[in-house]
Amino acid sequence: MLEIKNLTKSYGEVLALDRFSLDLGKGEVLGLLGPNGAGKTTLISILAGTLRDFTGTVSFLGRDLFSDRGLKNRLGVVPQDMAFYEELNAMDNLLFWGGLYDVPRADLKRRARELLDLVGLSGRAEEPVKRFSGGMKRRLNTAIGLLHRPDLLLLDEPTVGIDVQAKVSILEIIRNVGAAGTAVIFTTHQLAEAETTCSRIAIMDRGRILAQGTLDELVRIVGERDIVEIVGEFAAAPFSEALQDLAGNGVELLSVADGLASLAVADTEQIPRVMDRLFRHKLAVADMKIKTPSLETVFLKLTGRSLRD
Amino acid sequence: MRRLFLILGNDVRRHLKAPLVVAIFIVIPLAMTGLIGVVFGPRTEGSQLPPIAVLLVDHDKNLVSKFLLGAFDVDQMKKMFQVTVTDEPEGRKRMEAGKASAMVVIPERFTLDLLEAKPTTLLVVKNPAEQFLPDVVEEFMNTLAVILSGAIQAFAEEARGIRAMIDSPLASISWEALGPELGKAQKKMTSAEKYLNPLLIRLREEETQAAGARTRFTQADLFSIILPGMAIMFLLFIVQTLMRDILSERDDGKLRRMLTTPLRPLELIGARLLGGWVMGVAVLLVMVGVGTLIFRVTWGPFGYFLILGGTASFWTAAFFALFYALVRNRNQAGALGAPIILAFSLFGGSMMNPEAMPKAFRAVGILTPNRWFIDGAAAVRDGRFPLASLVILAGTGLILLALAVPALGRRTSV
Repeated sequence: MLEIKNLTKSYGEVLALDRFSLDLGKGEVLGLLGPNGAGKTTLISILAGTLRDFTGTVSFLGRDLFSDRGLKNRLGVVPQDMAFYEELNAMDNLLFWGGLYDVPRADLKRRARELLDLVGLSGRAEEPVKRFSGGMKRRLNTAIGLLHRPDLLLLDEPTVGIDVQAKVSILEIIRNVGAAGTAVIFTTHQLAEAETTCSRIAIMDRGRILAQGTLDELVRIVGERDIVEIVGEFAAAPFSEALQDLAGNGVELLSVADGLASLAVADTEQIPRVMDRLFRHKLAVADMKIKTPSLETVFLKLTGRSLRD
Repeated sequence: MRRLFLILGNDVRRHLKAPLVVAIFIVIPLAMTGLIGVVFGPRTEGSQLPPIAVLLVDHDKNLVSKFLLGAFDVDQMKKMFQVTVTDEPEGRKRMEAGKASAMVVIPERFTLDLLEAKPTTLLVVKNPAEQFLPDVVEEFMNTLAVILSGAIQAFAEEARGIRAMIDSPLASISWEALGPELGKAQKKMTSAEKYLNPLLIRLREEETQAAGARTRFTQADLFSIILPGMAIMFLLFIVQTLMRDILSERDDGKLRRMLTTPLRPLELIGARLLGGWVMGVAVLLVMVGVGTLIFRVTWGPFGYFLILGGTASFWTAAFFALFYALVRNRNQAGALGAPIILAFSLFGGSMMNPEAMPKAFRAVGILTPNRWFIDGAAAVRDGRFPLASLVILAGTGLILLALAVPALGRRTSV
């Protein structure tokens, strides 16, 4: 359904997308995970048609996404901004935004009512949006992107700044939309969101996909190894130096910063060896945790940093 | 085209849901027009000054002082003055209480001094709390003093005779002696009569009666002059405010969202321009309606005025489309917009009569839409088609539009 090939976009000297390629099938829900500056929003903006001056090709439903204006009717976008008119009520907003697509007026009203039901706003349909809570506004923002039953839905961090209840509701909508056959790409910082919502996850950093697959496929990248998280009073450089001779012998340093380090160990018997090296180099350890592999450890392994960095 | 009208309808709906801004911009010019008209306009019959309260204290109680009192008793004077004769202590009390505009004190021996051709003084006590009414009394007394002085000098010989008799006890007045004195005075009066009656110089009121002109300049005429100037000034403010969406929608992400839909940038630009124009015309029509109903403003042929208003709104929409395409952000627009409108209004004649402005101001004024709209409105008021104003406003409006569309195109592209 969607085929992205070698998409490259730079802002001056900064490369935001670096020969980015991706395929997406019908009904697939792809979570784009990555830290700030990874290129997620740039990708969404190019696909949405709001960013130009890039190279590469994007084919959607077998046609060039950027030259076939008719494809805009098949594409839904939910931007990070609350892009609607706060002085109007929810119904008027849906009718206006839906009207910009080629949806017949009678169908549009029915569809608007359906969506208000879906996002739990049917009881507030006639109320000015400015009175809505942040979560309600996010739900309306999402509903606007679905009015014309798009084949591809792009969501840029749709759960930013809202309460847990609203977040759960929006993620549920995304899952249902995917189940109904719409392909979805959504960007997020939240590993848990991606874990629970997406059929496929792509980890991005510095404009490229580092790894992609289902959650199980990604976890296998780390392997069956345990993850050891060490907290203490140490600097990154002496810590790496202390464990240098263990690298490749059942211990892999995933990430290290001043006072915090993550290691993957083949088995727990490696842990005393690690501690021995640290004590010998006079590095003070305050705490240590053993974790099973997760998306977070995959991210750490691939990018060398936490998603929150 | 369907989407253009969809955006236009949405804009109108939004502004109707939050009408306060538009309402304020309609009410302010009407209120200012009303205020200026009431303060500076000609007064109608009902708004003439009330009679001026004057206190008269007569210490003389003699022939001439009675003449002075009598002068206030003439019908014409009764309309102007409300005279109360009182004694001085009571008069001063009432003046201090602010119950009269002025108090005139006629001194003792006033008549005798005059008849002896000696200088004498009338005292006029004025109420400082009042601005000009006491001055009216003073001027009136001055006039009387001049008349009396002149009369005494003209009848000096007779006055001396009468003076002598006033000093005599009533029983000793010789009517035989008084007779010739009065006879001489009468002779002078008779010989003067041909000059005095009818008076050689009389005042006559005259008003121009040019063809088609109204006979009297009324308050409604003043409103008719002020309101078009105010209307164009606030039309600029309203269209500036409503077209600010061009910037705000860019800043808050609505523009980006619109561009993800099949909407074409040109449709969006068209909608913004059309929206500014429609709102401008609607606001002008409201002002015309209210101006006609409340201020009795005469606009001239309505069709001509509608064409003029529509053209001025077009100019305004094109100007602000270009303005918003050129400014960087909302702060810059806010900082520049109002000063530009105020400069247009100052030089263009919305704030003062162009004829009363320095030459340099008037020269700059022809570069403003205000000047051409005001000139056009004056032409329409006189029943003429405002061709010059329309040509200038439409011509420069088209130039602005030609500059605005590509500039806005760059603004709406991403």
